[in-house]
Amino acid sequence: MRDGNVQMALRARGVTVSLGGRKVLWDVDVEANPGEVLALLGPNGAGKSTLLKALAGLLPYEGTVEIGGVEVAPLPPRKRAKRASYVPQRSLLRSALSVGEVVALGRYVHGAGFGGMSKADRDAIDHALATAHADVLRDRIFTRLSVGEQQRVLLARALASDAPVLLMDEPTAALDVGERLSVLRLIRTLAARKHTIVVVLHDLADARSTTDRALLLKDGRVVEKGDTQDVVAPEPIRAAYGVRLIENARIGFEPDTETVQAE
Amino acid sequence: MRLYLLLFLLLLVAGVLAVLVGSGDLSNPELRDTFLKLRGYRLAAAFLAGAALAVGGVVVQGLFRNPLASPSVLGTTAGASFGGQVALFSYGIAGLGGGLVVPEMIVPFGCFVGALGALAILLLFVRVTQDLLALLLTGFVLSALFLSLSGLLTSIAQETWELGRAIVSFSLGSVSGTGPRQLSFALPLVASALVACWFWGRPLDLLLSGEEEAMSMGANVDAVRWWSAVWVSVLVASAVSLGGNVGFVGLVVPHMLRPFAGTKHQRLIPAAALAGGIFLVSCDVLARLIPSRSEIPLGVVTGLIGAPLFLLLLIKLRREHAYA
Repeated sequence: MRDGNVQMALRARGVTVSLGGRKVLWDVDVEANPGEVLALLGPNGAGKSTLLKALAGLLPYEGTVEIGGVEVAPLPPRKRAKRASYVPQRSLLRSALSVGEVVALGRYVHGAGFGGMSKADRDAIDHALATAHADVLRDRIFTRLSVGEQQRVLLARALASDAPVLLMDEPTAALDVGERLSVLRLIRTLAARKHTIVVVLHDLADARSTTDRALLLKDGRVVEKGDTQDVVAPEPIRAAYGVRLIENARIGFEPDTETVQAE
Repeated sequence: MRLYLLLFLLLLVAGVLAVLVGSGDLSNPELRDTFLKLRGYRLAAAFLAGAALAVGGVVVQGLFRNPLASPSVLGTTAGASFGGQVALFSYGIAGLGGGLVVPEMIVPFGCFVGALGALAILLLFVRVTQDLLALLLTGFVLSALFLSLSGLLTSIAQETWELGRAIVSFSLGSVSGTGPRQLSFALPLVASALVACWFWGRPLDLLLSGEEEAMSMGANVDAVRWWSAVWVSVLVASAVSLGGNVGFVGLVVPHMLRPFAGTKHQRLIPAAALAGGIFLVSCDVLARLIPSRSEIPLGVVTGLIGAPLFLLLLIKLRREHAYA
């Protein structure tokens, strides 16, 4: 987050979502604070992405979602997007827009609808591109980038809006190990800058390494919530996934210090 | 900037040709003024209609994220056409409408009533379904409906030779009969719709990533859908009232421009307005150049040029995997 930006907490109470007449999410409470990363975990079909979309106001829901102490449901789309920015897993963009143009879309929430960019717009775009390590991609065509590069650009687009809350849907899906570590490290950087971050993750090891707290879902209901260390633990994991958790059983990776400095 | 310089240069060339080319003899001092005046109106009508159709094309292609969309997908073009034909028909058979407006304005009013009728049905369905696909399908069905009704009217009109001729020539498209009244009716409508489309340019940019992402970035997707349909309808209704049924402009011109003007709507829309105008003025010059006993209909010329041009663009787009 840039200097002078406000911090906002996210509080959701009793979020219930029905899709096509079928309830897919029951009475879920979510709480996330500035400087904190909250993981949404659970098996496929548990309702993680649905919950995230409800928080972003992309789905109709029952219950309340407050961001910065303000109920967001009655807000017009622009005002809501100013508070919370949603980062999709993949963008549906197929047009030949440059990375700079894609990131500039994030500034829509601040614009008056006229053509030109203000200095504030340009500064925010530069800052977002630099934070997401995407400044070298600025003039490339978005659709021709790798999945990992696209993910960084989508993050930059969300950052350009200066929204204090970031809602990220599986940002590491389909990334190779290097790209994955780079995105996870970026999430920590953003938390350190007092963003409030809610992130859907598939990989439980990533959740342990990167997030502070976790919400574990199964079949649309909360199985466990709390510190990630306590949620990604044998009992809750067996209840949600039907597998046994073995500590320190798998190979791990960490950023190579030399490469990191080169970046 | 260089693009605009080129476009203005092309416009100048097309404009000069549009004034000089034609069957009338300009060396006759008695008739020269009349010829020049008629060609001036014609030039203005072709330019306005072309600008309206090209910008209509840009907007629907952005709205549907589909490079194959043309402004006629909304069904309002067929509605405007049918409205114009009904007006011609009822005036020709029974002199209806003559008491309301001066005769040359009967067809333009008919076009607007037809387009607005189609738009009302369209928006009613969109309000119920709230869905882009529904908008597309409703537009498609409306087109088919109004085309059938037009066919029915055309076949009935064949009973009177003159009326049949008038209706067929209207549906083939022409700007030759346009006068100052039609122009001053269409000009403010086209101008305000062009400005309105430009103002919707940024949310239309957001929609290129699909409705969900657009919404997440703060676009009011329902409003964009609704107002795009309204302004595109105003554009096509004006174009049909000026030049009858002219196809392919809204499909081809945006595609030709994107490599030069980019994809962002607020850059693309002014360029498309100019280029669309130039395209239709040039087609109208061509219609007068091709030797024929009566003039080749404008809609035939745009189709003959537009179709092969579009196929070429399709091959190019496929090769580059860059759509819309």
